Amino acid sequence: MFCAALMMAATSVAAAAQTAPPTPTPDKTDPASSQPPANPPPQGAPPESREAAIEQKQAEKVPELHPYIPNKAEQIFNYADTILQGGQLRVHPFFNSAYSGGGFTLGAGYLAYLTGYNYIDTRGSWTFKNYKRIETEFVAPRLFDRRGKLSVLGGWREATQVGFYGLGTNTSKDARTNYLFQQPYASALLTLFPTRGVLMLQGGAELSQWTQKPSDTAPSVETVFTPGTLPGLGAKVTYLHTQGTVGIDWRTSPGYSRRGGFYGVTFHDYHDGDDQFGFQMLSYEAIQHVPILREAWVLSFHARVETAMEKNNQQTPFFMLPALGGGSSLRGYTSWRFRDQNSLLLQAEWRIMVNRYFDTAFFYDAGKVAARASDLDLNGLKDNFGFGVRFHGPFSTPLRVEIARSHEATSFIFSSSAAF
Amino acid sequence: MLMSTLSSRARRAGVLLLSASAIAVFATTVSTQKPRFYPDDPIAREPESQDASKAAAYDESQMYELVRNLFVTSKYKPSGLRAKNLNTIDEVPDSSWFTNRIGSKPISAEELSRGPNVGRPPDPSKWTLIREKIGGAHPGFTAKDATGETWFIEFDPPYYREAATAAVVMATKIFWALGYNQVESYITTFDPKNTTIDPKASVRRPNGKRTPFTRDDMNAVLETAARNPDGSYRVIAGRLLPGKILGGYLYAGTRPDDPNDLVPHEHRRELRALRVFGAWTNLTDLKDANSLDTLVTENGKTLVKHYLQDVGSTFGMCNDLHEWDLSYEYFLESGPSWKRFFTLGFGLSPWQTVDYKEYPAVGKYEGKVFDPREWKPQTPTTAYMELRDDDAFWAAQRVAAFTDDDIRTVVRTGQIGDEAAAKYLADVLIQRRDTIKRIYLTGVNPIVNPRLETGGLTFENAAVAAGVAKEPTSYRASWMRFDNNTGTTTPISETTSTSTTIAAPRDLPSSGFVAVDVAADSAEHASWKVPVRAYFRQDGGAWKLVGFERLPEKAAGTNIETAKGTR
Repeated sequence: MFCAALMMAATSVAAAAQTAPPTPTPDKTDPASSQPPANPPPQGAPPESREAAIEQKQAEKVPELHPYIPNKAEQIFNYADTILQGGQLRVHPFFNSAYSGGGFTLGAGYLAYLTGYNYIDTRGSWTFKNYKRIETEFVAPRLFDRRGKLSVLGGWREATQVGFYGLGTNTSKDARTNYLFQQPYASALLTLFPTRGVLMLQGGAELSQWTQKPSDTAPSVETVFTPGTLPGLGAKVTYLHTQGTVGIDWRTSPGYSRRGGFYGVTFHDYHDGDDQFGFQMLSYEAIQHVPILREAWVLSFHARVETAMEKNNQQTPFFMLPALGGGSSLRGYTSWRFRDQNSLLLQAEWRIMVNRYFDTAFFYDAGKVAARASDLDLNGLKDNFGFGVRFHGPFSTPLRVEIARSHEATSFIFSSSAAF
Repeated sequence: MLMSTLSSRARRAGVLLLSASAIAVFATTVSTQKPRFYPDDPIAREPESQDASKAAAYDESQMYELVRNLFVTSKYKPSGLRAKNLNTIDEVPDSSWFTNRIGSKPISAEELSRGPNVGRPPDPSKWTLIREKIGGAHPGFTAKDATGETWFIEFDPPYYREAATAAVVMATKIFWALGYNQVESYITTFDPKNTTIDPKASVRRPNGKRTPFTRDDMNAVLETAARNPDGSYRVIAGRLLPGKILGGYLYAGTRPDDPNDLVPHEHRRELRALRVFGAWTNLTDLKDANSLDTLVTENGKTLVKHYLQDVGSTFGMCNDLHEWDLSYEYFLESGPSWKRFFTLGFGLSPWQTVDYKEYPAVGKYEGKVFDPREWKPQTPTTAYMELRDDDAFWAAQRVAAFTDDDIRTVVRTGQIGDEAAAKYLADVLIQRRDTIKRIYLTGVNPIVNPRLETGGLTFENAAVAAGVAKEPTSYRASWMRFDNNTGTTTPISETTSTSTTIAAPRDLPSSGFVAVDVAADSAEHASWKVPVRAYFRQDGGAWKLVGFERLPEKAAGTNIETAKGTR
């Protein structure tokens, strides 16, 4: 996107350059051949020395003096600079869908600073599948002498046709059913880098209510399953979700990095006040970027294991189970294609730096879900491969476009974030 | 093949020279009777006669400059025109831009060590922070020293301990010696314990508002800097320039508010020559924002003075330890991008295989595969694109004027603690200097300093004198009478010599002007067949050099790019 913006900007600069030459003042002199003085000779009289000749030209320029006038393209950039440096960039695009699988997303946000660094961002998005999200986030990025960042988020979202294919890896793609859910949520997440180094601690709490409903898109999930065969079907659950992460992170940025890695483990506790659908989850994640040939190539690896654990004999609702499939996991499969109590995801990418703003990548994803954690082995993995291009800046990936192929489907992915 | 190309090039240039002469004669005959040479030619200084006090401050958008340079300037077709700020003997006169120093007059080791520094160094016993640092790759502040003088302070990043500060000081000395106006810069110390924050000091926050500068703001900068074991920091302090700050100059066009600025900047030889000087020192951040115009009053006149500032992106210093492509590619360049795209990165770019011997105090700087013709800044400037062979030759003479001792003197000013690193840096500078000499001093007819005396015409061969070429087999001189009013020439005769003294013809006039074309026959350097032309005027019984042309006014086909591969 940055590159595209650069291209667009270049077009306007080029156009302006054609209509408005960079030299507002014409060439007046060539000291070696033309010229003409300190005490300029009388007008019309030829100069009698080189110095006089040049000074005559300088005197001739005086009536034409004017301040520098930027051309139209430069004026646009000046305006943009003013907005960016002045913190006045209020309205911004927002491409995060309400839920994975929502499809092409349109959205916008409005950002307002409360203090020098703290801001409130109110944003909303809509997808062609009618997924909707509206939320407001307060961000304090420089807490505890710049060791911490606090995010307080409140919002509501609705996903209208989330896929469910049954539990396990060996489900058929033809067994797809759909469900709808609505969720109001309010959360706080504190991220700490206590040493301002690689150690990362994160903790947070969220109060949310998941209301699972039939989908308008047939077949809806309740036409195939019953609450007895599918825990959580039709449920309305209010969770107090608490989480804690310990990790080490030495990537240049989670949004874009050519070196470094992240290794972390996150514990989640979902407390249901009705003691019916409470559960716990552990998530292990490892990311490693291996630069080759001075970062012109990067071999990037990602592994993630998610394990949902029973809590006090309560059930884990089907829509909260670990899942695979979609633009950030098994990219050759539809979103939420595989679900079960446990999941394993393995991803590898060969990233090729085309230039400072554009990368291409070949990738291979594999993974599986299983009822028991001990079954998360390398047998029976579902896999896919693909190719993608990424427009990026030094710290973010505003546009990722990929094509992925699995034995089930060919998928096109448009995303406004890094794969991992 | 190479010889054929060069011969063809030499013939073409010769034809162009004759054509240009013919056109000049024609134009002179039918239009005006303006003399070719005035009595005061060659001038030693560009006059600046007009008051420039109405020049106004303006800061160009850096994003605009980046986009323009990457997408428009990079496709700029060079005019092929001779630089326009030259005097009649093909030299750059002194001006508010440039002062002839090394290569024009002897520069002592003491002068070189001092560089632009004329005032006293900062007193670091106490610093008072007054503002954040604006621009630049490395962390810093604006602060007052113990005497209350304002300085721009910049730190070394942790991964380039000593390197960033050393680069600023060393580059400042070099560019000062080369003739550019430079900011006074000193290596000194910054101790947070002896630092206070001015109550009026402020910082612009992301919300666009300025709020008081806090201790935490200071710490945020210090955390990104290399700290000494005693808790202090090595810093480079740049003195606040005198006069009113007007903002950077552009590398194209002229200031419309400065009556004395007549020559489009892309046609100023000293700005074109930054392509050569930049290659030597690896000054990759060659952008408008790294220059500065100030409004100063000198001898009762208010004038615009032009500084080449922020020369710290030299000797392998860059924004990030992992920027390997700097000096090999622009920030964005289609050719290498497509190559990597279609070959999946298997088509390696040169920067991927260069063998750097990296010292923390030096960075990515090497001399073995260095080729100045291939060197690129982060983004091109119009002046960079306009460099001709004669500009490069002029620049190379100045680079060549740095002796090994001069270079070591400059490196010592960087106060690099690691002796091996300092030696390596000096060796690379010497190596790169020699490469520049070899390429650019031999790329055009290298005859310099012609003198017409009783014994005949005497001159020097800069390439031979620099030890980068063999003596040519012979020199040929074509003598002419020259009518200064009409610009016409009348052949007299030709003389030859195997040395750098050629006898003058017997019927050489004893008054007026003579012109002489001098070419060299060299098996290795066909371009030397293209004659240089010198004009002499009888002046008090002696012949005075009043004109010199190394290449024609329009030198299509002689752009530096065509010389690639002749190394």
